[in-house]
Amino acid sequence: MEKWDVVVVGAGPGGSYAAKTAAELGLKTVFFERGRSPGDKNASGCGLGQRWWRDFPDIMEKLQGLPSVRKVEMVVINLLDEHDRLRYRCGTTGSDLCASRWPHGMDGISIYRRDLDPFLAGLATAAGAELRTSTLVNDVVMENGVVRGVRTDSGETHLAEVVIAADGAVSTMARRSGLRNRWGGGCTLVPQLDFSADEEKMDLIIGNAEWVWFGPLYGTYQVNFRDGFHIGCGQWLRSDWDEKPLDMIRDVVRMKPFQDMCKAIGAKPREYQAHLLPWLKKPSKTYTGGMMLVGDAAGFPCPLEAEGVWHALMSGRIAAETAAWAISRGDVSERALAEYERRWKASDLGKEHEFGPEFVDLWNSTVFDPRLMTRQIQLLLEVSMLHPFSIVFDWGDAHMDCFNQHLEHLLDLAPEFADFGRRYIKPLARGIWPKNVKRVLLQAKERIPLVRRMPDAAYFRLVARLFRGLAPYLDPDLKQDAPVPRELFQREVG
Amino acid sequence: MKDKERYAELRGEEMKIDFFDLVKRVDVEKMGDFIRYDREKCNGCGLCAMVCSFNLWTVKAGRAKLAARYQELCLECGACWEICEQEAIDFSYPRGGTGVVIEYG
Repeated sequence: MEKWDVVVVGAGPGGSYAAKTAAELGLKTVFFERGRSPGDKNASGCGLGQRWWRDFPDIMEKLQGLPSVRKVEMVVINLLDEHDRLRYRCGTTGSDLCASRWPHGMDGISIYRRDLDPFLAGLATAAGAELRTSTLVNDVVMENGVVRGVRTDSGETHLAEVVIAADGAVSTMARRSGLRNRWGGGCTLVPQLDFSADEEKMDLIIGNAEWVWFGPLYGTYQVNFRDGFHIGCGQWLRSDWDEKPLDMIRDVVRMKPFQDMCKAIGAKPREYQAHLLPWLKKPSKTYTGGMMLVGDAAGFPCPLEAEGVWHALMSGRIAAETAAWAISRGDVSERALAEYERRWKASDLGKEHEFGPEFVDLWNSTVFDPRLMTRQIQLLLEVSMLHPFSIVFDWGDAHMDCFNQHLEHLLDLAPEFADFGRRYIKPLARGIWPKNVKRVLLQAKERIPLVRRMPDAAYFRLVARLFRGLAPYLDPDLKQDAPVPRELFQREVG
Repeated sequence: MKDKERYAELRGEEMKIDFFDLVKRVDVEKMGDFIRYDREKCNGCGLCAMVCSFNLWTVKAGRAKLAARYQELCLECGACWEICEQEAIDFSYPRGGTGVVIEYG
């Protein structure tokens, strides 16, 4: 039997960063990895966004030199219709505002977990944490309902003041401690197929970009690495699942536009993987007596785009800091560790989950709804036809006639989206900052002779009375650069 | 239900993929029994067969059945455990240092 201040289960990004932080805080720390080395068991999209430059700049700097890295300066979106025809392709590099926000411009990176995980584990061991590989932690040691340690598959017991469970979506620790059982509908399954490809051809044809492919019947992301890429499909694990994962992958690789791209860059299938990915409206309960959950084990991945590596590091850091705080006070009870939830909710991690229910509903109702997706693509094509650059594609009539015919078709399609807008877009309007609503209203005020001379406060009161939907934004006591509180918005707007 | 009708001319050639060859494993014989299945709890709904990434579950006579040597094919994702509303499937991980090794994950 060994005794530690902190036992961390799992040497993925969350576990390694928790172990690093705990060791740096002077705690005697061990972390366990079931693979032969960190990275053996992990697959993910692993796009590290610009916020890494803000929160983990030293790490980001060092990652640039690792073998699998490809920069991400652009997102390319490929939309296909119900007959697999490529109908719409656009790429965005972000606006000047995006570029000015970060000292490194818009650069994110894609990196294999094969590179990232050993690097992060190395930071933890350098800080003094001990790493045990090829060791599966398969049970918790409980005493009076409090987690006191863990057991490994070789029969060892490790006692700890605090256990940090970073053992992924299937989290044995969460289940054995009674914190949680199945996710029950909130977790997705992601089958992934990795391809090797010619690096130089990728530079020329793919560029520094992430790609996505969406059609009414399937969608896939394509994460591009230095000399290869992988595609990932998937769905929420619910009883309405209607296609086998192998068939989902086959559907994507059968698309002619996808095969054309494969030919162009010399792509060949290289590795088949599958993993669970919690994609939740809100994280599960993240603590119990003597134990905290971090990363996927807690359900932290972003509710909008399901990226979870940054979230794993953030939660790992906060959990380790909370562990140090609790140990120094001599109280690791469930009540004391509630501090962990208070801390992550107050951090950027909590901000990310403020719109969890709205983001997940939006995804569920758009790309995962074949009928709506079919119509959406038609709508998007009509919107794009109104663009001055697009009008050259349709020279069937005089330009202004073409413009009006496309506008008419757009107006024909629009009513179908009214219900969609009311259900899924309106709740997101809560996130518009009050000061931005006020700016729009003040710009309008300048152009309306009747109210131009009215004091701003009186004008806002008048608007709030006339348009109830705007009233929540005009409450003078609100924070001006934060979402309207959920209760206030629902009371006034519904 | 999905409409599988597609224009033949727009369909790419079938890309031959041997999924079995695309997974690396070590020490398969030492993995242990990491998927436990309780036949009594199973109601034969077939969701496990629907979500398995290697088609390791089949439904026969109203009960699910796991391939005998599932260790040789399982991707260790845990989807069968997560989807089973009857909680007839318990998934843990194979023994440390064994099973799937992901090289490009």
